[in-house]
Amino acid sequence: MHTGGYRLKRRINVEYLSRVEGEGALTIELLNGRAGRVDLRIFEAPRFFEPVLKGRSFQDVIDFTARICGICPVAYQMSAVHAIEAARGCSVPQPIQDLRRLMYCGEWIESHALHVHFLHGPDFYGLDSAWSKKDYLHILQRGMKLKRLGNELLALLGGRAVHPVSVRPGGFFRVPDKTELYSLLPVLGKGFELSHECITWAASLFERKEAAEDTGSLFISLHDPGSYPMNTGTVCTSDGITYSMDAFTTVMEEYQVPHSNALHAGIKKGTSHHSYMVGPLSRINMNFESLPEEIKEVVQRTGISIPVNDIRMSIVARCVEISYAIHEAMNIIKKYDGADPYIKVEPGEGKGLWITEAPRGMLIHSYQFDRNGNVENARIIPPTSQNLAHIESSLRNFIDRNNHLTTKALRRGCEHIIRSYDPCISCSVHLIDLSAGEN
Amino acid sequence: MKRPRLGIFKLTSCDGCQLSLLNLEEDLLRLVELFSLCFFREASDKELRGYFDLALVEGSISEPRQKEQIIRVREQSRYFITIGACATSGGLQAMKNWAVLESFKKSVYPEPALIESLSTSTPVSDHVYVDYEIWGCPVTGDALSETLACFLLDKRPTIPQYSLCMECKRRAIPCILVSGGKPCLGPITKAGCGALCPSFGRACYGCFGPRDDANIDPLMKWFEKRGYSGKERRLLLDMMNTCAYRRIQIEKKD
Repeated sequence: MHTGGYRLKRRINVEYLSRVEGEGALTIELLNGRAGRVDLRIFEAPRFFEPVLKGRSFQDVIDFTARICGICPVAYQMSAVHAIEAARGCSVPQPIQDLRRLMYCGEWIESHALHVHFLHGPDFYGLDSAWSKKDYLHILQRGMKLKRLGNELLALLGGRAVHPVSVRPGGFFRVPDKTELYSLLPVLGKGFELSHECITWAASLFERKEAAEDTGSLFISLHDPGSYPMNTGTVCTSDGITYSMDAFTTVMEEYQVPHSNALHAGIKKGTSHHSYMVGPLSRINMNFESLPEEIKEVVQRTGISIPVNDIRMSIVARCVEISYAIHEAMNIIKKYDGADPYIKVEPGEGKGLWITEAPRGMLIHSYQFDRNGNVENARIIPPTSQNLAHIESSLRNFIDRNNHLTTKALRRGCEHIIRSYDPCISCSVHLIDLSAGEN
Repeated sequence: MKRPRLGIFKLTSCDGCQLSLLNLEEDLLRLVELFSLCFFREASDKELRGYFDLALVEGSISEPRQKEQIIRVREQSRYFITIGACATSGGLQAMKNWAVLESFKKSVYPEPALIESLSTSTPVSDHVYVDYEIWGCPVTGDALSETLACFLLDKRPTIPQYSLCMECKRRAIPCILVSGGKPCLGPITKAGCGALCPSFGRACYGCFGPRDDANIDPLMKWFEKRGYSGKERRLLLDMMNTCAYRRIQIEKKD
């Protein structure tokens, strides 16, 4: 090992991140064992959704924003439809709210099952992919069963899992009847048992279950008293501060960095920003009490204590949320007694902002509509772009604490950390801020 | 017998079509047995190496680097199939083809000079020869399974090119356009979704792109007679396959 005046330089380069959604690369430079440059290079091509949305109707906003992401289209449709209704001062009846929550459950199940078993899981076994070894097959198959369950629920409510067609302002074009929903109860019941196995398995992937040392991460999620947050709530931080949805967007800010096509975001701190994390880990850390007793017990039996500070344990949080979503879906279905599909929402002028909890974290939609109900102004801040700065600081921490490892091992560790956030890169490159420029 | 080498590629897109592939559930495991899945960044770490018997491509061309990338992939592939609206027609992001790029960049990014982008989003077929196209936003699992199975059998896939109307009739759904009076693109749009939107009581908005020999202008005249303004009629076609519908309109004008 060289010491003294000799400066030991190392470089970690991943040309194309695999097992993440979308296109990104990683370049890290170490000098004397400390991380210098840490660039999560997002090169996914921007699609400029903003000009596409300008001048479009409420329904177009719902159908178009879904296309920002193939894995979480429902999240976009939910944030959009709530923001539209907020702009018009409408509130939908409880059965519609329940069906929306049910639809979101379907997406949480599908998206989390995909990430846990297909994308992230292989890392814990040193595998290239979920199908490279026969030993992993039973884990992959469990993931497929759960993913299929989520997709079935989405198809029933939305017509199809990717880019559902049923969401409209005021509700749905068509709602299922009781028997259609009830027919899903048996498979949901089986899924629920499977989800307990999932939580136990995910916890077993970690040797150290006690709280890792606090890295000073700021966790942010919605908080909805008495309920695990999905479509509604106030914004809460692990610092103990609460904001209304509107107020939160005044304390956070997006900014551009040269190495990324996606904007970064942070809480304003003088002239700079404090990075923060959104997603399942934030949600579970701040809303654990709202989970059903049954699920809390499964978690407690694994020996894992909340709050969780190790980003890599997000896989456990996702498994817990799969279980919660299945449980909640069964609850909603049992309560369901049919519904009027929608209330009329007249097109017209208004300004609305809403935040819902996408599988990957808080998704912020903000619109200004003209007197014809067409978009004048749109701003969308996806969860992954809110996480990008935090990912870079996590990588920096990881490097500084593990610089004794080989470059190859450091590289693997960094990729693993990035995957732990379940980044949805195609989403993150679609930040829309009409107010920033002329048209 | 050697398994055919399969590569799956993503350009500018939302990833929904690749997800439709992953959503094949048990068929996905069969896929991995029947093909040698050599490149699929979404789901595997394997590096790009060598040639492919079959390349599946999702996404449109909207950046300079993608032009070179797709030519390289085409050169290395025996068969080359595009999947989804982005790859087959340029996608929703092709809306920028009808506008000025700089204003777009400026409205999103404070420092537009840092962003490299073409002024257009174009289908892959504008750049390389494509052996087969699967349309849809997203493509259906059935269309993917059918195409992959036919590839293995050396047979042309049987994917409908007729209009959505046939699927509505088969499902006995009352006509959204005629009886419902809604602006349905069904008559000029490819079947494939199983008349999904009509089954929800809503008008088709063209996820599967124009059918063979689409008669766009007569349908637009029908909308005009029912009070839709020129701008509204244009917006009806400006959806996921805007580039494809508009090109047909332009071609037929000559």
